Amino acid sequence: MAEYRDATAPGMPLRAADEAMDLERLGSLPASRLSFVRSLVRQMARQRWQVSRARFALDAQGHGIAIYRLQTPHGRYHGVIFSHHLDDAQRSDRVIAQAWDVTFGVIEGDVDDVLLEQMAANVPLQEAGRQHPRLLVLSRANRSLRNFTHFVTALGAGDQPDPAQLTRAGYLYRTTAVYGNGKFGIADFVRLQDNPDFQRPFSAQMLAVYLLRHFSIEQVEHIARAQAPDTAVPLATELRRYLGIGNSTGLGMAPFLINHPQLIQQWVTCRETALAMALGQTPDEARRQRLIALTRRAMRHLAQTVTEDAEQGERNAAVVMALPEVIAWLEEMPLEDDLWQQLVAWSARTLPLEAQELINTLLIELYPERVDSLVDQMGIEERLELTPDMPLVRLKQLIETHYDWALAEDFALPEARHWFWYRSTEKEEPRLGVRGVEPGAEKELPLAIAPRVHHTHGVLSDFLEANPRALVVEFLIAHPRHKDIVRRIQTLADTPYGEIRANLWHRDMKPMHLLRTKLSFFGAGRFDPKSDRWVRITLFQGAPLVEELNAEPRDLAAIDDWSFPLEPEGVMHSQRQGAGETS
Amino acid sequence: MKASYNELQGLCRKAFIGMGFEEGDAADAADMVAWMQCFELGGLAALSRGLDFLLEDDPDELPSVLYQDGDLAVVDGHGQSVLRSSTLALELGFAKARARGLAVIKIRHCHNRQLIMGYLARLAGRGMNVTAFWRNAQQPPTEQVVGFRANGSVPEIRVYAVHEVPEENEPNDAVTLVMANHVDLLPAMRSDYRYDLLARHDESDLLACRHRSLAEGIEVDEAVWERLKHLATRMLVEASEASREGAGAGTQDND
Repeated sequence: MAEYRDATAPGMPLRAADEAMDLERLGSLPASRLSFVRSLVRQMARQRWQVSRARFALDAQGHGIAIYRLQTPHGRYHGVIFSHHLDDAQRSDRVIAQAWDVTFGVIEGDVDDVLLEQMAANVPLQEAGRQHPRLLVLSRANRSLRNFTHFVTALGAGDQPDPAQLTRAGYLYRTTAVYGNGKFGIADFVRLQDNPDFQRPFSAQMLAVYLLRHFSIEQVEHIARAQAPDTAVPLATELRRYLGIGNSTGLGMAPFLINHPQLIQQWVTCRETALAMALGQTPDEARRQRLIALTRRAMRHLAQTVTEDAEQGERNAAVVMALPEVIAWLEEMPLEDDLWQQLVAWSARTLPLEAQELINTLLIELYPERVDSLVDQMGIEERLELTPDMPLVRLKQLIETHYDWALAEDFALPEARHWFWYRSTEKEEPRLGVRGVEPGAEKELPLAIAPRVHHTHGVLSDFLEANPRALVVEFLIAHPRHKDIVRRIQTLADTPYGEIRANLWHRDMKPMHLLRTKLSFFGAGRFDPKSDRWVRITLFQGAPLVEELNAEPRDLAAIDDWSFPLEPEGVMHSQRQGAGETS
Repeated sequence: MKASYNELQGLCRKAFIGMGFEEGDAADAADMVAWMQCFELGGLAALSRGLDFLLEDDPDELPSVLYQDGDLAVVDGHGQSVLRSSTLALELGFAKARARGLAVIKIRHCHNRQLIMGYLARLAGRGMNVTAFWRNAQQPPTEQVVGFRANGSVPEIRVYAVHEVPEENEPNDAVTLVMANHVDLLPAMRSDYRYDLLARHDESDLLACRHRSLAEGIEVDEAVWERLKHLATRMLVEASEASREGAGAGTQDND
């Protein structure tokens, strides 16, 4: 297809959609400086958001209520966390779970006794509760038992936990759902449209996760102190920084990606625009050295990333193997004006997809002054609309131009129609079934866009033969079942990055790529697949701490430089000598 | 009880799919109900009144165009709810008005006509001035006029009883729509015949309702809510051990 150029973006042309929207490529994206966790932390630092403890009523086991106050220049919010006892047998990451170690939410405004009582009765129930309309985010999380036990024991003994524990699983808690936008009675996202604090998609959800991270540090220190008041020490700063929050997620992310094509369009356009801007810059020696340093850090980070998944392990290893070549290339090549373009062209010829997208991500990292404002374009008011007066022949042309990838699929082949997507009666959990083998295909979710477009194209071509001057609305009155897909095609025709170019029915389709696409925009690291459709990741590992942001840092570039975090070295030794200096 | 806008819209969409609506119709119908409820215009109550009829509607009996030319169209809704029968008729009017500057559409034999307002809001959002008119069958007859200004999100609504109606035999189950590219069609009451204004909703009142709904949640009737939830379960697939594996999660989550 034709290259798409954003008129507001000086630089190279944006990549064509058939490249940028290829599912395997999307499934290779790492988090970038445009990711939601990064942009939230930058906003917090820049606007000097202040987080303070408003209540911390936990017993010796760490159970009870904690409330954190967040003051921004525009408003006040409260993170309210309920910590509960949970039997190990009940600890499940799936949406069908009914109890968790912690349940929590973020309230807009103040929390009085009446509201707290209402929340205490409903937040722990999660989906089964009726949540308050001032609740912006509703979430829950489970403990990493191994890390939790190790941390409490080590701190109680006056020692520091082994950093290698956090390299294996970089969190004390992992969330299993982070709900926003009106779920179960909480505030609609549209309510935040005029709120400068949380206008960007998922920024309130990311704040909730960030506050949980802070709580996890304070809670584990509290338990260690309660169990060993004479010997307990606080967690070392390097380990606090290295502590993130996990997330465990499954197929639930896939419907979102398909059902919000205009939002996906914005996200990918921002990333592609940032890349085009970076590629259009003339490199200097300082930036070359910075890129080499970032590449080294990313290489070490990936080498330290632990996963039991053989395929992801191989992908990580392939990137780690490839990056020394990248460094050598960067060190050897003359500093020509189009060096970045040469680098990307060379990487496309020689490196695996994950390494290519890693290099793109690092190039974006070099130009914060040019790309950071793009995060304000991540949101959009979504609405798919018909153009009923469009000549039908024009619609046919649009399909053949923009959905050639869908028309190219042969849906008569069994492998091209292998899977069907559906929701289970168990908490509406999205699942995949094999067509013709498992029951439920008649209740299939219409997530596979390619076969729908393919079918509509056939029907409208026949209609057009009999009615060559027909309008779209005339076709739809005769064939109303195609309204939904026609509306989608018409709306997305001018937006190249709305459709993920894959047949989601195909036997070889990898759901993991869909999950990773969304998670990379969140800012996830440490991808650790548990199956081809279930993954654990880590958010905010390496991020600045609450106390660092509260101190109103002056060097905003330094505070923002936390991508690809590395395992701290020498912590145990230094902290045995200097425990207690961190709080 | 209170619900959010997104939640209400989502539940309605699932319930309509459960009732056999096509995906696009279900999304449109859900938008229409949620839009009315958000403006405190009784969308759920209107749906509830028509729900039993809706469940009996034959989904394969499609609205049909009885007559059309460049400026006019008459559509037979076959006695179905406007939730099923109106959107493409409205799109037909939109296409004609875009081509000719003004169009008149009449949808005959339809019920739940109040609910059409939500889709008119969408057409207005796409730059069309729209007015809808319909008459209810009680004595004395009442008439309702709803007008949207192009690119406006909120209508002007008037409901009034008319007393001097000549005898005629046409049933009051139609809705008439006028769309104009460039001319305001908002209702303004002016008549030589006697009428009693029963209700009047101005833009500012309705905007206040919307603001309240978003800030405090939308009041919904629990019985209707439960009924919709039940209907929504029809789109779900019964769970089994095999289907649990289809989610791809492990059996042991402790680490």
